[in-house]
Amino acid sequence: MSKNRSSKRNCPIFCGLYGKDLSPQARYRCMCNSLFIVMLAITLIPLSITSGLNFFQYQQLVREDSRANARWNAESARATINAYLEKLEAAITVVIDTYSFEDLSDPKKLEQLFRQLKKEHQGLVDLSVVGADGIQTAYVGPYRLVGKDYSDSLWFHKALSRRIYVSEVFTGFRNVPHFVVAASKKDPSSDRYWVIRASIDTETLDRFLALADTEALEDIFLINDSGILQSGSRYHGDAMESFQLTRKPKQSDVLIFEEMRGSSSFYRAVSRIPNTPWLLVLDQQGAEARKIWHIFKGRLQLTLGLCFLASGGMVFWLSRFLAGKFREADETRDSILSETEHSNKLASIGRLAAGVAHEINNPLAIIAEKAGLMQDLVGLEQDFRHREKFLDQLASLQNAVVRARTITHRLLGFARRMETSLTLVQLNAIITEVLSFLEKDAAYRNIHIILQLQENLPVIRADHGQLQQVFLNVINNAIDAIRGDGEIHITSRRENQKTVMVAISDTGPGIAPDVLKHIFDPFFTTKGNEEKKGTGLGLSITYGIVQKMGGKIEVSSEIGVGTTFIITFPVYKEGSEEESNDSA
Amino acid sequence: MTAHRILIVDDELDFGTTLAERLELRGYAAKAVSGAQEAMGALADNWRPDVVLLDLMMPGVDGLATLDLIKQHDPKIQVIILTGHGSTESGILGMQRGLFDYIMKPVDIGELIARINEAGAQ
Repeated sequence: MSKNRSSKRNCPIFCGLYGKDLSPQARYRCMCNSLFIVMLAITLIPLSITSGLNFFQYQQLVREDSRANARWNAESARATINAYLEKLEAAITVVIDTYSFEDLSDPKKLEQLFRQLKKEHQGLVDLSVVGADGIQTAYVGPYRLVGKDYSDSLWFHKALSRRIYVSEVFTGFRNVPHFVVAASKKDPSSDRYWVIRASIDTETLDRFLALADTEALEDIFLINDSGILQSGSRYHGDAMESFQLTRKPKQSDVLIFEEMRGSSSFYRAVSRIPNTPWLLVLDQQGAEARKIWHIFKGRLQLTLGLCFLASGGMVFWLSRFLAGKFREADETRDSILSETEHSNKLASIGRLAAGVAHEINNPLAIIAEKAGLMQDLVGLEQDFRHREKFLDQLASLQNAVVRARTITHRLLGFARRMETSLTLVQLNAIITEVLSFLEKDAAYRNIHIILQLQENLPVIRADHGQLQQVFLNVINNAIDAIRGDGEIHITSRRENQKTVMVAISDTGPGIAPDVLKHIFDPFFTTKGNEEKKGTGLGLSITYGIVQKMGGKIEVSSEIGVGTTFIITFPVYKEGSEEESNDSA
Repeated sequence: MTAHRILIVDDELDFGTTLAERLELRGYAAKAVSGAQEAMGALADNWRPDVVLLDLMMPGVDGLATLDLIKQHDPKIQVIILTGHGSTESGILGMQRGLFDYIMKPVDIGELIARINEAGAQ
């Protein structure tokens, strides 16, 4: 358990809570860090989760779109090739239906037809007629193929067995990859089938396939069921080369294969082209390779980055703000505790002082009366030998009693703090009254009192006599501090809507910091070695009175410059509290 | 002016007798007793004082209770509290019960006589 607690102390999150042995500054810094980390986690974790979910959802959508796009591109390419072939098949069918074997065996007629067909059907290389025995009887085209025997050719036999036929790509006698579209017809005179054949080069297929080229397209080509390329491929070679396909679709289905290549997806669409021996293969990149995906990722990263920065900034500010507020609250609490402690201390010392005063007053009274009686008796005896000396000694005794009485009465005054009678008081009037007592003393010591009293100062609620005592004490102290030749500045003004203040500054020698911090403590005096000895109660009483009236007294001092007392009182607000019964 | 009769009630008998002696030297008839019982005894002996100087904190019956007894006996007797245990509350309580004045010990004899004369003139 203790080990656990120790580890928490070292942890940057918990040190603000458990680090009681840390300095206050370090503790608040830790608290600030803790708040920052926790709030940042609370802010960023949901943001990251949401962004991650959105990212994967969008990726899924884009992959679906890629899959659909691959299917659509494959179907589109298939339709293009299919349309071309259907048109050519229709043309060949029309020719064979229109003309007889004899008509087409005429080279001129065949050439005329070839030219017409070539205009409408790009890629057409040649046109020829093959008799029932497999011998090519007529030929129009760039090669010398008249008389060639096709009786052993697969395409020839397949053409005889069906009305129209599209062959695989082969090199044949010309030794160039091509395919044929062939149609057969029965010759009525010989009752045997003959064939008309149109050859198309594979570049034509390449051109049609190239129409399907898109941004994401990697490769598109045709193969046959034996795995021989029927057109050129970007990555797998030219026509007639081998290519392995793992799965093949049945009939007109489009099969879609998906595979991951690194961090990117890749799609392959495979489809049969109807009425041909060909399979269309289309390879396409996934969404990750596409520009739109990069734009989305860039925007997402930018948005996330900005959110992180904004959240981090706000959380940083908020954690500092909250830690500052905690600190202020703690300082206020400490200050209140300190003031309460000070008040309690004063009250305890006050009670003690009262007890001491009471106990001293009675023996003091006995001494006074005994000395008085002796004075009376010696005074009556004119012939008493040491009469004058006795009377002098007794007078000194009485003076000592008076001094002691003054102290005990002040002690009692301190203890009682004098009962208050609250009235509405004008601070400027009180200051003027007090100065009327002290002006002569100040003038005698060549001390100038400079007044800066704000007119129409709001009234405060206080005890008139006690307030007089407050200013009497402070101004008297200022006069004592200056001793001779100096200035006392007395300023009164409204500090804000709630308070009025009086500042009393002297040009005395100033108070050392170690003395200043005890200045309101009871029995603390700096006048011990001087002619006019202090009791050390004046400023304590002043402090108590000001505090009792809801005010505040503060002191600042600089050695060689002087001392300033600032006394603040709350402004009286009508209806804020009930008037005292004995108010004037 | 007729010298007043003064009764001093104080548990510090040394104080009381010395003060009584000083008052007598000034022409007053003064008697010192140490508590409420003796004070009431003195009143019962037909020695009626004009002014009573009364201590506040006394063992047994305290000053305020003694004040009540004196006032019950003769409301015209003026009572001055002379005490080392001064408090405004006890002063106010005393005033409410017919107290003439309230003086803190130690007191100057001249000031005390002035108060006694004031009280005696009532």
